[in-house]
Amino acid sequence: MSSLTGGQISLNLTDNFKEIHPGLTKREAIEEANRCLYCYDAPCIKACPTSIEIPKFIKKIASGNLKGSAKTILEANPVGASCARVCPTEELCEGACVLNNETKPISIGHLQRYATDWAMQQRKPLFEVGERNGKKVAIIGSGPAGLSAARELSLLGYQVTIFEAEKEAGGLNRYGIVSFRLPTEVVQWEVEQVKQLNVDIKTNTVVGIDITTEELLNQFDRVVVAVGMGNVPHLGIEGETLKGVYDAIEFVKRTKMEEPTNELVGKKVIIIGAGNTAIDAATTAVRLGAANVKIVYRRTKNEMTAYQFEYDFAKQDGVEFRWLTAPTKIIGNEQNEVVGLECIKMDLGEIGLDGRQKPVPIQQSEFVLETDVVIKAIGQSRHIQLIERFGLDHSKGVVEVNPETYQTSQEKVYACGDVVFGNGQGEAMVVTAAQQGKEVAKAIHRSFVLQSEIA
Amino acid sequence: MSEHMQYLEEKRKIDSYFDKGYQIVSIFENLSGTFVDFVTSHDAGEREIVELQLLTAEARKYIASKLIVAN
Amino acid sequence: MADLRINLAGIKSPNPFWLASAPPTNSGYQVQRAFDAGWGGAVWKTLGEPIINTTSRFAALSFNGQRVAGFNNIELITDRPLEVNLKEIYETKKRFPNHAIIASLMVEPKQEKWHEIVKRVEEVGVDGLELNFGCPHGMAERGMGAASGQVPELVEKQTYWVKEVAKTPVIVKLTPNITDITVTAEAAVQGGADAVSMINTINSLMGVDLDTWNTIPHVAGKGAHGGYCGPAVKPIALNMVGECARNPLINVPISGIGGISNWQDAVEFILMGATGVQVCTAAMHHGFSIVEDMIDGLNNYLDEKGITSIMDIVGKAVPKYSDWGDLDLNYKVVARINNDVCINCNKCHISCEDTSHQCIDMLKNEKGEPYLKVREEDCVGCNLCAIVCPVEGAINMVEMKQPLPSMTWNERQSSIARFKMDKVAK
Repeated sequence: MSSLTGGQISLNLTDNFKEIHPGLTKREAIEEANRCLYCYDAPCIKACPTSIEIPKFIKKIASGNLKGSAKTILEANPVGASCARVCPTEELCEGACVLNNETKPISIGHLQRYATDWAMQQRKPLFEVGERNGKKVAIIGSGPAGLSAARELSLLGYQVTIFEAEKEAGGLNRYGIVSFRLPTEVVQWEVEQVKQLNVDIKTNTVVGIDITTEELLNQFDRVVVAVGMGNVPHLGIEGETLKGVYDAIEFVKRTKMEEPTNELVGKKVIIIGAGNTAIDAATTAVRLGAANVKIVYRRTKNEMTAYQFEYDFAKQDGVEFRWLTAPTKIIGNEQNEVVGLECIKMDLGEIGLDGRQKPVPIQQSEFVLETDVVIKAIGQSRHIQLIERFGLDHSKGVVEVNPETYQTSQEKVYACGDVVFGNGQGEAMVVTAAQQGKEVAKAIHRSFVLQSEIA
Repeated sequence: MSEHMQYLEEKRKIDSYFDKGYQIVSIFENLSGTFVDFVTSHDAGEREIVELQLLTAEARKYIASKLIVAN
Repeated sequence: MADLRINLAGIKSPNPFWLASAPPTNSGYQVQRAFDAGWGGAVWKTLGEPIINTTSRFAALSFNGQRVAGFNNIELITDRPLEVNLKEIYETKKRFPNHAIIASLMVEPKQEKWHEIVKRVEEVGVDGLELNFGCPHGMAERGMGAASGQVPELVEKQTYWVKEVAKTPVIVKLTPNITDITVTAEAAVQGGADAVSMINTINSLMGVDLDTWNTIPHVAGKGAHGGYCGPAVKPIALNMVGECARNPLINVPISGIGGISNWQDAVEFILMGATGVQVCTAAMHHGFSIVEDMIDGLNNYLDEKGITSIMDIVGKAVPKYSDWGDLDLNYKVVARINNDVCINCNKCHISCEDTSHQCIDMLKNEKGEPYLKVREEDCVGCNLCAIVCPVEGAINMVEMKQPLPSMTWNERQSSIARFKMDKVAK
């Protein structure tokens, strides 16, 4: 759901982290649902990575069959309530809606949220566990990919155990997406739906410390690695250890774990990077009361990886963008507190391997931006250690998988979600991770069916 | 006078005749509404007949409801 | 999962959703696609002497941007030889033995014609027959369809002829183009009908083109009346089903037809006495797949209500459908406006002020903000304000406890009867 409106900042910081969009009223939902043409062979379905039968779930809203509607969504996408909020819908289903050139596209994300919100209020399980087949699967990570794989495997009759390093399950959705876009309750409900299918979720359990990879491989018939990505890597510039330097992932995560504090009120904040995480960090800083929030990016708006609606949202929140600006040094005072960020002006040069023009520093164009806080958002590191413990082939921490089965170089180990994202494999979206989880489940099931056929 | 006030007035009259021991001897309905003839009870010497014209729909319901309650 | 199977006068189908005899059931290809999509039964496009159709046949009414609120057609019965249809019926039945296939029939009102066609279609294994006494256009000009369906004697006689030879259940499909449908329904029952179905389409002219002055639709500049159906006719059909269901002389099952577009419409017809429903316009608008939500929605509804079989709710609302003279005159509801929800469009005020009983006041509170309030003592409880109100929950019709006992018009008239005198107006 991307029609966010920013710029509504309250002095009561807790209010700033409440979900921005209130959700459709019943009337809005019925009117919007009845606008849907119920296309045959609908392009919106094809544009959805999880192939939700969108016209079908919308028709069910129109007919008052909300249970059927929610089931249609969640059957195709176990984290459909989260996706209703965080999907870049204009790039996906809504972008494909045939009404785009006719009037305006159907608000599919809002309708999906309406149906799944209804299901959340019911507090009744929508799915039943499949007949147990005696096979055990371990899933490492309880983000969208892990949850999705767990749900599907459990429906197929597998005994699933999820190992989660954090205190609570949900992964990226739980800790990585700002709560004014995705409230914790939604993620908790989705986790609960999976738990109700007899999936055992072991939180506070780090694979490699609390349980070894060997133990996992011995105790389970299959292992799914869905660990996502790690924290933000080092910038490699002076001053990174100063007080007031944050990792964007950690920065957002804190707002999802505890009540907001006043420490950023009135402060100047600079975010380095212009991806979706950078936007999340910037808008979070605004909501924590920062007086001025800037994003510095070494390329231009055309190269930024943030979605257009994310960018619009940050602009509405009053975030400033400094293009063609690269940090060279974080400046501290005697108390080791950040006081400024030294930057250099850049120019775009030749086209690099990724098809984008390479930024080139302009000699002697250094200047200093005054700031109290620097937040790093230049991408995420990889869980290389764990990947290597399993002995999986990878390239720079991106696990290599068979694109159809998501099987890794180790026969019994599968991988999905952000851990396989990068180097041209897939798209880093919650909805893609959910789809990969489903496909892993299918592939694992197929591997056993094949086995029994051979036997 | 609102129709409701008019009804209350007609109801008050109906109630007062019943309270005074009058009885209905005739109910007649035509294009002008309902005409109810009340008569004093048999014991009370000379019989006096009062005609009440009911103009409101509510009063026309009320008079019949009173008869149903009485039975 | 509730049991959605129905048994209508001996015709069984896996769910109550049948396709009505119409363009969607023209061929085996279509009916088989429909069964694959989940439809429980199909009434085959009417069989009879193959006709010739015009081109330009349909027109639809868009209501404020909502397409196909009503639908009109001048298409006639099948234009294919009987043998072709029978072969396809046979093949379809073989592939879908548990689905209901009902042959819709229309021939001239002659005993031998009816005998011939009944015998021939029953030979291929149909589950039942539906006599088309309702088609209002074209065929009626030739003395068939609605022309015979409007004459009770003809309905009775033709039903009787069919029953003389029929081995499968006979449904008589009735036309709404008649003052009182219970008269022809009774005639059908008298003739031995095992069930009745209603309604066929209503005589209609969809429109006139403002530029060419042609009718809509037109055939080379000329038009003829068609048959009207679709969501707009649902209330008319529902009443006719209800009137037949509560008539003790029409003691046969009813197949409900007319504007049914989703599971909610179907439940209404079933509650009002239909044992199953037939659908056409909604399928023509959206394709056969709409039946998926009909089945799913109906199933969820029954589960939610704790009802195990759809047959358990057939006719459950019929005792609530009565005559005006049996309605309680002392029952009173009044409109109440929830000012927290009201958006102050004043539509309730103006509808009441101009066209009802002038009891909604436009007021201002102490801050000078406008609000609306009902003078409940003057409110007649007509519902108009709640009908025009665009916001759910802004106007509620609230029941007022009455000190007076229930009194129907009929009871009132009998209570005052003994005081009525022969008087002339004064």
